[in-house]
Amino acid sequence: MNFIKKISIIILTTLLVFTLVNGAAFAQEKIIKIGTLFPLTGSCALAGSRCKAAVETAVEVINNSHPECDVPLAAQEGLLGGYKIVLVHADHQGKPDIAKAEAERLFDQEGVYTIVGCYNSACTNPASMVAERQEKIFMCGCSSSAALTERGLQYFFRMAPTDKTESIEFCDVIEWMNGTKGANLKTIGIIYENTEFGKHAADEGKLAAAEAGFEVVVDVPFSPGATNMNSEVQTLKAKNPDVVFGACLGGDYTLWVRTMKQMDWLPKMCLNYCTGYQDPVITEQLGDDANYFMGGTGYAPEFAELMPAVAAVEKIYQEKIGVPFDSDSIQEAVATFILAQAIEKAGTLNYDTVRDTLYANEWNSPLSMGGKVAFVSGGQNAKAMSMITQLQGGEYKRVFPTELSTDEVIFPMIPWSKR
Amino acid sequence: MIKENTKKQDLLWYVLIVVLLLVPFIPQVAANSFTQHVFILILLYASMSQAWNIIGGYCGQVSFGHSVFFGIGAYGAGMAVVKFGITPWPGIIIGSLLAMVVAVLISYPCFKLKGHYFAIATFAIVEIFNRLFMVWYWVNGALGLDYPMVKTGWTNFVWYRTKIPYYYGALILFTTIFSIVRFIERNRFGYYLRAVREDQETAEATGINSTFIKLSAMALSAFLASFCGAFFVQYNFRVDPPMVMSLQVSMVFVLVTILGGAGTLFGPLLGALILIPLQEYTRVLWGGLGRGTDLMLFGFLIVLIMVRQPKGIMGLINEYLNYRKTRKIISAQPEINS
Repeated sequence: MNFIKKISIIILTTLLVFTLVNGAAFAQEKIIKIGTLFPLTGSCALAGSRCKAAVETAVEVINNSHPECDVPLAAQEGLLGGYKIVLVHADHQGKPDIAKAEAERLFDQEGVYTIVGCYNSACTNPASMVAERQEKIFMCGCSSSAALTERGLQYFFRMAPTDKTESIEFCDVIEWMNGTKGANLKTIGIIYENTEFGKHAADEGKLAAAEAGFEVVVDVPFSPGATNMNSEVQTLKAKNPDVVFGACLGGDYTLWVRTMKQMDWLPKMCLNYCTGYQDPVITEQLGDDANYFMGGTGYAPEFAELMPAVAAVEKIYQEKIGVPFDSDSIQEAVATFILAQAIEKAGTLNYDTVRDTLYANEWNSPLSMGGKVAFVSGGQNAKAMSMITQLQGGEYKRVFPTELSTDEVIFPMIPWSKR
Repeated sequence: MIKENTKKQDLLWYVLIVVLLLVPFIPQVAANSFTQHVFILILLYASMSQAWNIIGGYCGQVSFGHSVFFGIGAYGAGMAVVKFGITPWPGIIIGSLLAMVVAVLISYPCFKLKGHYFAIATFAIVEIFNRLFMVWYWVNGALGLDYPMVKTGWTNFVWYRTKIPYYYGALILFTTIFSIVRFIERNRFGYYLRAVREDQETAEATGINSTFIKLSAMALSAFLASFCGAFFVQYNFRVDPPMVMSLQVSMVFVLVTILGGAGTLFGPLLGALILIPLQEYTRVLWGGLGRGTDLMLFGFLIVLIMVRQPKGIMGLINEYLNYRKTRKIISAQPEINS
């Protein structure tokens, strides 16, 4: 009995000491938890994994001293005098209901300070509403639906340009081609995946075209993940528009391009939103077929001379995922850097103070085209820029605006039979 | 011997009653919002599957089209809140009645088909409705309906900072649907359903109008599934066609019921009790790894259960009970002989 008593006292004392030491350790631990919410499975898994790796890269640079990187916070270790960022990853599978549930779990159970995400606009929408209801900050990198920043949310911030910006830019290119090259482009066709992203892009495209005085002669929605796009391309071919605006993500973009080749049809010019066009892996898969297509591009490795600070950060990123940044993933890294700068500047983790700081300042962002980030009401980055590129020889050549261009546009697109 | 059995049976019912009495207090015990979320999904999916069980389990007509009715209910509530800016309740009622009408209209020609052919036809119906809603701009097409910020409470059936009212809402839905099915099970209508399932020709020979019975079962099933859809949209504050009207959603109705045991009262609940925590916690534990580990494990466990017992978990329970009964009879044999 005596022995049992002794053993019990030893166990209880050990437990007590362990709990106290552990508790003290936790109390001393200076961490800021940040949640990432991307499609890590499903049709957009590849893009989601790249976005996740981009956030990890940014956190690696922020948490540790990286003097080789010429970006804010790289020289120091952590934030607010020693706080380290810890990431909690979640997968929304491209489903809005799961995005909402995971956002709630990240905030309520994991206790994250903020969420960076979600790639798919349809998922960013409900997930950011969760943050808004809890009056917590949501950082969005690349979801491009213009509607996201038109909801009047207080705690939502988006880095990338929207479909609206890109649509206007597309019409500017057409006008420039007509004015300077005598292209005589009058009619537009739009092909888009029938989702929140595609539908918004198409609506903005139609609006911009109408304002610029172009006629939209055909409007072709399709179901994402399609296995056959013959009828869609046939519809385009029948109307034969001068220019096509495309909003086809991932594998759908590959299928669309290959179906056009199979049907031996191309418009004179093809301009793509933030889609499969910007994906370097898809470009490699398509090989020569990817050439002469054009689109809005926020970043490509060919922009190195425009954005010299990217290279050192990109090296860390490539070690994680094996490919360079693309227009989407780099925006997620930007979102993380901007948030970290705001926390550092605010000197506190208080949500309202950090939010006000985000709005009140123009942020230095060497990973963004133009190098600056500044937010306007609704959370849109007013300095968001992209330029029009054309794939020539498998490389993204800068063709518009002219002051930043490096190459001439190849116009009209070279027919399949002559490649 | 009989007395002992009766005692044990009584004890089982007492345990069940105690468990049921404790169910309303779960949110107080499980204060964590994610745990509450899992319980809400269990109740919702059990209700959805019980609604499907009426036509698929008791009547034996395997329908893969239930996401259409679920979606109509969801859009009913969503349209009321988003388009008309009113409380969802009129939309829920109209949506559910509409789901009944649609169920009857599409089932009447489909019921001329039997077995696999009927199942295939219902597959096609989901695709038709999905495409229709994708391009129907009055219901916002592919953009879906996003809820604005509305006043929280039972009038709008919306809460932002707590999940507890949703839990009780799901519990009411669950209790209502299970009570209806329990009533049907013991009612003449329930016997007709099972007669049609076992042998339609024989059932007709005994004077049962099988078409009427099947249509009634489908209408009731669609009506209840539609209520579940309305709950789903109120819980997620958003509805778009892939979220509610897709083969994936239809498969949930079928999978939960078959996993638990089709044509049994507690099958859908058991299926949801296994499937939902498995789905949610595997995602939480391994979803962030980004390799689909959670989905692979989830799929593997379903295959394992189905291979072990195709009649579902209720089949496993019955197998165990039969085994015990047989053992008792065998052990009682020498006493009888002596």
